[in-house]
Amino acid sequence: MGILIDEESKVIVQGITGREASMVTKHMLDYGTKVMAGVTPGKEGQEVHGVPVYDTVKAAMREKEVNLSLIYVPPAFVLDAVQEALDNGIKLLVVITENIPQKDVVKALKLAREHEARIIGPNTVGMINPGAGVKLGAIGGDNPDRCFVPGSIGVISRSGGMTAETSWMAKRAGRGVSTSIGIGGDPMIGSTPKDLLKLFAEDDDTEAVIMFSEPGTHFEIEVAEYLEEGNFSKPLIVYVAGKFTEDMPAGTVFGHAGAIIEGEGSKPSAKMERLRKAGALVAENYDEIIDCIKSL
Amino acid sequence: MLARILEDAGKKFLAEAGLKVPESKTITAPDEITKALDELGEEVVLKALVPVGKRKKAGAIKFPSSREEAQEMISELFAMEVREFPVNKVLIEEKVAIEEEYYISITYDKKSQLPVVITSSAGGIDVEEMSREHPDKIKKYQIDPFIGLPDYKARELWAELGFSGKLLRQLGQITSRVYQVFTDYDCTTLEINPLVLTADQQILPADCVMATDDLAIFRQPELEEFVQVGSERLWRPLTELEKEIVAVNEAEPYRGTARYIELEGGEIGFMCGGGGGSLVMFDSLMRLGERPANYTEFGGNPTATKVYGLAKGIMKKPGVKGLLVCCNITNNTQVDKVAEGVVKALTELDKDPAEFPIVVRYAGVNDERGKEIFENAGIEYHGEDITMPEAAEMMVEKIRQLNSGGGSE
Repeated sequence: MGILIDEESKVIVQGITGREASMVTKHMLDYGTKVMAGVTPGKEGQEVHGVPVYDTVKAAMREKEVNLSLIYVPPAFVLDAVQEALDNGIKLLVVITENIPQKDVVKALKLAREHEARIIGPNTVGMINPGAGVKLGAIGGDNPDRCFVPGSIGVISRSGGMTAETSWMAKRAGRGVSTSIGIGGDPMIGSTPKDLLKLFAEDDDTEAVIMFSEPGTHFEIEVAEYLEEGNFSKPLIVYVAGKFTEDMPAGTVFGHAGAIIEGEGSKPSAKMERLRKAGALVAENYDEIIDCIKSL
Repeated sequence: MLARILEDAGKKFLAEAGLKVPESKTITAPDEITKALDELGEEVVLKALVPVGKRKKAGAIKFPSSREEAQEMISELFAMEVREFPVNKVLIEEKVAIEEEYYISITYDKKSQLPVVITSSAGGIDVEEMSREHPDKIKKYQIDPFIGLPDYKARELWAELGFSGKLLRQLGQITSRVYQVFTDYDCTTLEINPLVLTADQQILPADCVMATDDLAIFRQPELEEFVQVGSERLWRPLTELEKEIVAVNEAEPYRGTARYIELEGGEIGFMCGGGGGSLVMFDSLMRLGERPANYTEFGGNPTATKVYGLAKGIMKKPGVKGLLVCCNITNNTQVDKVAEGVVKALTELDKDPAEFPIVVRYAGVNDERGKEIFENAGIEYHGEDITMPEAAEMMVEKIRQLNSGGGSE
């Protein structure tokens, strides 16, 4: 099981002929992901590692069954690509591209809400369900098994690299992951930790969730409120990185673009305090995550 | 990320959109003031053009009462550093007779994920203070980015704040135009505080805080000259070393990222990867009582050349006695390229790992080859055998051993 992706996921890669997208397509296929089609305007008829390329999503969907789009187009074309996927009825979009202008992000997210579709990202490493052998994006690179073994822990991370490392920590503690998700490092993203916790709450294969957080955003406050409402009965392990930034001059951004501290509540220490009060298991040191997992 | 646009340029864009703005001149040396005063008259305000907020509090805005005083004050301004930013340009602006002060700001609301306009009939103070003390004098409206802010919608906001007649029409039109500038120039913030009503019933922006989205510069060629790359994340101007590493990064713009922030003091050269991984490592070192000499993030599969440029920069800082190279298990960054870059920098700077402690924890793509390169250079390599905080502990131990006079004998 796991959330959002499984054996039924049939993927179209928008921007498939790019260097990065083409490499990732190969790694996804090797892992068992069903990559049905790719789109790059003007390149219909080509193939990328055996995957047929079409000019438009519409043309691809006339011939192939798809239910998920992985977006790899350059920043200037993301809004158009999102619109194209939505207009063709795709309800789950993973936007890998980083450095998208905010004006375009805001429009893309608004369109997704209007279409009742879900966006993961932008600026995400992707997500993986090792039990089902499905991965989307660069997550796990060419050797996903190194960090991601099947298990019952969900992982939600702002940082792509730490999605892998945190899943590896679960492995080191003798466990594995149900689904690991990089939510994206931008301040405005399609699916927040709370949105994903709601899905993990209903997933029978997920026993506990680890969340890797950074400074900035209101996401953790939302999670704390969600826990307090009593809707999430599984253990939530949290590590909030970047405590040191509180000792640094204001106005400096460490970490992802979303890591701008705006107001006291978005400081790491405040988030830790708030989440602890709401009942989360908060690791003071990153290594304590292992102890927290072992205590489950 | 945001890149600040100085007041003179911000007002130029507002004027082009049809707003009336105060008469002004921008000067780049104190002696240019004579000519400016000849043109503008002697009733002026002098404003240092620096990319920081709250300039009035910092003494960077001056109100001379005579020509002589203006001449004195201009020399003071050019000699100033406003929060570490030197003053290279000053705006000389006609002083307006203020009758009332209002407020307009447009920014992105992270929760609703929409642009939001805030208007207020109480300008001149900061918005947090305003919403605390005069919540009734503030109106907020979330804008549909596909529709924009039509005049009538803006008029509704001002009408609810008690405005009517000609003033209402003018404020509506101005607010709508401010939004137009915000969206046309890919701004992340556009704030006019205060927007003033003058004694002769004109409405003028007395200040203008504009920040544009550095990620949209590719489609805003007009803004390019106003924005310094790499400056958007800092509290002060870039140091020489930082500029050097920005150049290293920009030389191969599509091949990974290397960001560097120079910090005061510190002995550990900090070369850690990933946005999140770097935060974890810095926290881990601070927890152990060590403050690194710099902050870095690098990743996204950089070339060996980029890694080399970054490593060299990190080790060049005076006082750096060792190097911590650590990253989360990589998704795409090739460990052998990292090893090549680091080893090349060490060789070039003539650093011997026996005297210059180095800890490497770098697992991921091509790490077997990476291990070989590090070990052949005499560097202790770790991969999945240790966690990231454990690598921090090793580094701290090595630096302390070095400082206590070795311990190898």
